[in-house]
Amino acid sequence: MTDRITRKVFLRRAAASGSILTVPGLLAACGGGGGGGGASSGATTQQLAKTLRFSNWTLYMDRDLKNHTFPSLIEFQKKYGVHVDYMQDVNDNASFYGKIQGQLSKGQGIGRDIIVMTDNSPFPALLVKKGWVEKLDKSAIPNIKNLVPVQRHPAWDPNRDYSLPWQSGFTGIAYNERLTDPVLSIDDLFGNPKLKGKVTCLNEMGDALSLVMLANGDDPSHVTDATFNRAMAKIKKAVDSGQIRQFTGNDYAPPLAKGDLSAAMSWSGDIPQLDAPYIHWNLPTDGGDTWTDNMLIPTGGNVYTASVYMNYVYDPQVQGLMEAGDPKRNITGIYYIPPVIGAKEAALKFNPPVAKNTDIFPTPKMLDNVHLFDPTALTNQKYLTAWQNLISA
Amino acid sequence: MGLGFLHRHRGTTPYLLLLPGLLWLGVFFLVPLGFLVYQSLQSGNFVVGYAFHWAWSNYWDSVKGYSGEFERSFEYAGIATALALIVSYPVAYWIAFRGGRWKNLLLLFIVAPFFVTYLIRTLAWQTILSDHGFVVRSLATLHLVAHGGRVLNTAVAVVAGITYNFLPFMALPLYVSLEQIDARLIEAAEDLYASKLHAFLRVTVPLSLPGIVAGTLLTFIPAAGDFINAQLLGSPTNHMIGNVIQSKFLETGDVPVAASMSFILMAIIVVMVLAYARAVGTEQLTG
Amino acid sequence: MSTVDATLPARPSGPAAAARAWAFVRRHVLTVYSLLFFAYLLLPIGVVVVFSFNNPPGQFNYTWHSFTWNNWRYWNGVPGIQSAIELSLEIALIASLIATALGTMIALALVRYRFRGRAGTNILVFLPLSTPEIVLGASLLTLFLNSNLIGFTIQFGFWTILIAHVMFCISFAVVTVKARLIGFDRHLEEAAMDLGANEWATFVKVTLPLIAPAILAALLLCFAISIDDFVVTYFNAGSDVTFPIFVWGAARIGAPPQVNVIGTAIFAIAVTFMLVNVFLQDRRAKAA
Repeated sequence: MTDRITRKVFLRRAAASGSILTVPGLLAACGGGGGGGGASSGATTQQLAKTLRFSNWTLYMDRDLKNHTFPSLIEFQKKYGVHVDYMQDVNDNASFYGKIQGQLSKGQGIGRDIIVMTDNSPFPALLVKKGWVEKLDKSAIPNIKNLVPVQRHPAWDPNRDYSLPWQSGFTGIAYNERLTDPVLSIDDLFGNPKLKGKVTCLNEMGDALSLVMLANGDDPSHVTDATFNRAMAKIKKAVDSGQIRQFTGNDYAPPLAKGDLSAAMSWSGDIPQLDAPYIHWNLPTDGGDTWTDNMLIPTGGNVYTASVYMNYVYDPQVQGLMEAGDPKRNITGIYYIPPVIGAKEAALKFNPPVAKNTDIFPTPKMLDNVHLFDPTALTNQKYLTAWQNLISA
Repeated sequence: MGLGFLHRHRGTTPYLLLLPGLLWLGVFFLVPLGFLVYQSLQSGNFVVGYAFHWAWSNYWDSVKGYSGEFERSFEYAGIATALALIVSYPVAYWIAFRGGRWKNLLLLFIVAPFFVTYLIRTLAWQTILSDHGFVVRSLATLHLVAHGGRVLNTAVAVVAGITYNFLPFMALPLYVSLEQIDARLIEAAEDLYASKLHAFLRVTVPLSLPGIVAGTLLTFIPAAGDFINAQLLGSPTNHMIGNVIQSKFLETGDVPVAASMSFILMAIIVVMVLAYARAVGTEQLTG
Repeated sequence: MSTVDATLPARPSGPAAAARAWAFVRRHVLTVYSLLFFAYLLLPIGVVVVFSFNNPPGQFNYTWHSFTWNNWRYWNGVPGIQSAIELSLEIALIASLIATALGTMIALALVRYRFRGRAGTNILVFLPLSTPEIVLGASLLTLFLNSNLIGFTIQFGFWTILIAHVMFCISFAVVTVKARLIGFDRHLEEAAMDLGANEWATFVKVTLPLIAPAILAALLLCFAISIDDFVVTYFNAGSDVTFPIFVWGAARIGAPPQVNVIGTAIFAIAVTFMLVNVFLQDRRAKAA
């Protein structure tokens, strides 16, 4: 997909991003410019929109729990005058993609300027390949120089033209110490009869299969039919025996907090956020996996405003505060793994215990024990269908 | 002028009345169904796109691959409907025959829960049936639930949820038809030496048949396609066909198979309804 | 006299007393059962209301902590909840008005006229009721996605949601109004016309007021169904968020108490409306 925007495509996008059935929308479509309502389309204007529409996963932004506000977003608004419409409507990659792909496939915008999807799923690569994302305005992102080196050239977006990491994380196992002894391995999670019906598995194929393959002694970064089937069999056994209670996205958090679950396959940052000292998270003994969530600008999103926001979060001071929070101001941080150089140093100022938390700023030893899931397996339709059948049927 | 026109064209009045509504239904109900048929004969997915192939195999694949979910859906819906009937009938009877001047108020209480959003009601059940909650602990002491066992995320919770959510749909039609029964008919039966039970079975129940039919249909049909109760209150082994359809439409993008499943579901429901209608007389349904 | 007394049966005791006791139980068991039924019906509602006053320590509203008015005072404190409920109310209002209007016209046609295609119309109106919501939602989604085939590309959001809601509400409106029309006494209209009124005046002055309760009932029913709808809306809302969609998303991370607040508020307002309606109906019945 070239980045040359033909007149036809531009008009189509302009028409799509306004509200076509209202008079202002119709006028806007005739005029070919940005429409009434939300952000204008197209990539070339360097003008800030009034609103930034940002779709993200839950528990993925610094929060003031008492006021239910997001301090870093308020600061962004103060600094740039842009209100952020922050929507926590991504629960898992597949269903979010399912919701948006219809409109994107028709060249329509989806009413968002930034969306966040995981590289541990086929979808970021798919969005780029199909040309359903806009290129970043790098002239507005000088802070891109703070991107940690290991994230600079992912296979699916080699020059970071279309994406920037939001946060990284690990997949591991969380357990409630009041209800069970430590659950430290997948075999324990899926095999311990005392945990029957009190554990969950993630519905993300990449995460779940990585952990299970490692428990089987297989390598998740090179998936074969044999290793795939072995891993699926192990999970299926746990489903059929009633060991696994449900497949979840982020929504293992409420039942875990409630005590309906004793343990859950879970993502590293969610657990510190629950603020429940009796719930612990660990990488499985056989190893875990790592993944990165990426910010993308879908078709019709306002490129300049989105890029300015990305630049804002790549400022180490901002990132440090977002990451670690500030107990003095009642701010809870994101507690995932930041992609910004200098964030740890900044975090030390705000929240030293969190800054020293290795789940958030991991040690080299931990980084050795995590693996990346094989990206080719993510686009294998056979695997995907088998996986969907397992978790939804 | 308008009335003169209508006078001269008497026959057109009904068509004029019907036009806007039927047009709306035609465009936004029938046409989409047509599209769905078209899509059910395609093959493809998110990644490669879709192509029309006269892919009748989609239908066969749905039945073969997901017969378990189909069966389970009708099983759960059937049990929930039967439970709803058994549970609501006495109450509908009570309100109709003993309600007196409180009838309308009592009906209000039946309908009232309907006004709390469906999702919120179901989530409340998640709280009530929570493993360490009062209800489950009480059931455990009564040995109705295994110690350390659970009610949430089981078939029981799903069926209970479905039953609960559709109770008003069963209770109201039952009430309406029971209320219309002339009490003198029952008196007459008793005068003819029928016992109370006998009078009930031979007079009241048959006369309330229209209500039973309406209630059963209004409960069973939406219940069979439901997926929310299974999602919030069930586990992967309790998934109904609605869950599969939803997942295939929105998550795998396997639209052709999902579309074919939708039609199979509809077809089975229509067949059941027709058989039911034949058994009890069609006027109850559409007349 | 005494011989008559001697032949009178003795005061009932033993089996007869037991029979009376049994009759007492039988008389009241139905009442007790019904009361239990209502308790069961209202139990989750009670939980929702109670927890709307809860002051949870963290973000999960599952166990009772302490009482607070804050959730009610700051009901819109949770980002997104206000716009969600506003959208839901807006759509419910407009959709119920349109659906009731269209449905009333269809009901009038069906009950009062003989025309070709009457059976077909009956079936067409009944079909959406017998279609699983998921099929309604998904098929409508397909229509909207392919709307470019007929000229314009429809934007998902308010309009698509509205169209969907009117579509499934029409059938409910038809059924509700039809029920009342069937029992309608045409003689009143004939009398009005005999007295010189033309069709339009008759309709406005005689028919409408008499079927007004049914129209109102249809309006309320459509409103309730629209504001509660999740499945069809979920498929067709695009990125817009109605209140049920908001609840679905919020449940992932632990729904904040404000969700309970709004749920309770809708419930309270609806119940109040219906109580008023019941009261008025009683008054009307007494006056009649």
